[in-house]
Amino acid sequence: MRYSQTLIEHFRNPRNAGMMHDPDGVGEAEDRECMDLARVYLRVVAGRVVEARFQTYGCGPTIAASSAGTELISGAELGGVAELSGARVEAALGGLPDDRRHAAEVVSAAIRAAARDALARSHERRSGSV
Amino acid sequence: MNRRVYLDHNASTPVHPEVLEAMLPYFSERFGNPSSVHGFGREARDGLEGARERVAAFLHAGKEEIVFTSGGTESDNLAIKGVAAARRGGHVITSSIEHHAVLRTCQALEQQGFTVTYLPVDGHGIVDPDDAQRAVQPDTILISVMHANSEVGTVQPIAAIGRIARERGIPFHVDAVQTFGKLPIDLDASGIDLLSFSGHKIYGPKGVAGLYIRKGTRMASVQHGGEHERRRRPGTENVPGIVGLGKAVEVRARDMAAEATRVAGLRDRLWEGLRERVPDVRLNGHPTQRLPGTCSLCFRHVESESIVLGLDLKGVGASAGSACTSGNVEPSYVLVAMGVAVDWAMGAVRCSLGRDTTAEDIDYVIGAVEPLVAKLRSVSAVRA
Repeated sequence: MRYSQTLIEHFRNPRNAGMMHDPDGVGEAEDRECMDLARVYLRVVAGRVVEARFQTYGCGPTIAASSAGTELISGAELGGVAELSGARVEAALGGLPDDRRHAAEVVSAAIRAAARDALARSHERRSGSV
Repeated sequence: MNRRVYLDHNASTPVHPEVLEAMLPYFSERFGNPSSVHGFGREARDGLEGARERVAAFLHAGKEEIVFTSGGTESDNLAIKGVAAARRGGHVITSSIEHHAVLRTCQALEQQGFTVTYLPVDGHGIVDPDDAQRAVQPDTILISVMHANSEVGTVQPIAAIGRIARERGIPFHVDAVQTFGKLPIDLDASGIDLLSFSGHKIYGPKGVAGLYIRKGTRMASVQHGGEHERRRRPGTENVPGIVGLGKAVEVRARDMAAEATRVAGLRDRLWEGLRERVPDVRLNGHPTQRLPGTCSLCFRHVESESIVLGLDLKGVGASAGSACTSGNVEPSYVLVAMGVAVDWAMGAVRCSLGRDTTAEDIDYVIGAVEPLVAKLRSVSAVRA
């Protein structure tokens, strides 16, 4: 098998799959070359991710990366999530073959976008309340 | 433990036990070089020529018209480059859904100054013979159209195209790698001058194939060396492989017709079962003019490789219709040429059945596909 057992496990039983109503942040990323599309939703309480969900169209590794990536950021501080690298998502999958690195990249980009959206909304709320 | 179901027979097939048995002595006991004059060489030559006779008899061709090669790709290269090399230039007609062994060989000829017409296909993947007729030019030197497409299984009207070629005196090459030993081939009625065929698609070994070259076809060598294969393909022959190919052909001549009927029934059982249970699925290729064992499907809004991976985890070997290579996914050029929309083409999966496939296998696969596609759609970002 060319994929790690961890990746296969995430593909078999994806965690956090599905959309979220009234999220605090939404991010999307697309890999135009491989046509993968990942969308990530975040629920944030006191600057931390309390729930992350995803909807992903793509190959098996990209679906697995979405599961592992959303699991990775659950409970994490939003500022750190906004800087999440593809390498961390890849590590959470137990590695990726060279020709599937895009899976971690597209998912980490969607997660960063969702975190930035949540930070912006939070900033707007604070600005609006002053 | 999962059941294991192999549905990738268009990619390769297991060697038939009778074929393996026929090959074995040629690895150890009858190992000589068939070009050697001594007894060891003669034993090997007897095996080689016996296989040639079997293939020739199967095709109703002359022994001297059969050339053994290392694979279907080599056969296609030899046919196209061999005809081209015997001319100074000219025009080639082929179809837009040929195997890469033909398409890229034609593209290589374009680099050398030849011109090529790539005929379109209709929504079922069929070439219109009238298009071929219209494409003929005064300097057309070759028409090359496959017998059946490996991805969707559509069978081309080669007899009609062959008539056009024959009327104009143009050599006609047919890549029959997917049909040889599966469907009847009438070289004379179809006006075929060159026919590529392969061993490992018909329960023979890998690394052996052949090219039928009608007597009198003007060809030049594309490989140089000794006297093997009447100089048309120099190099010591793969004797065990060729013996295996000969045996495979003999077995196919015996089993082909009955197997085609049985396998076509299972192919239709697969399609009917999936159509009933899985929404948004379509069958690719011609509904009837199709290889008996080929069932190409598109699942809308699901990505090919995720289905193939999910099936693999259930013990099912199928083939993805779109391939992700180095992070770049292209929908199948065959499906694109047939006008299949990208959101369908990205979810193409080919199931190709064979002699060992059973009804229980098919029911197992239907049962595996239904929840898998539902799950993949439930996580998808592109389905409402």
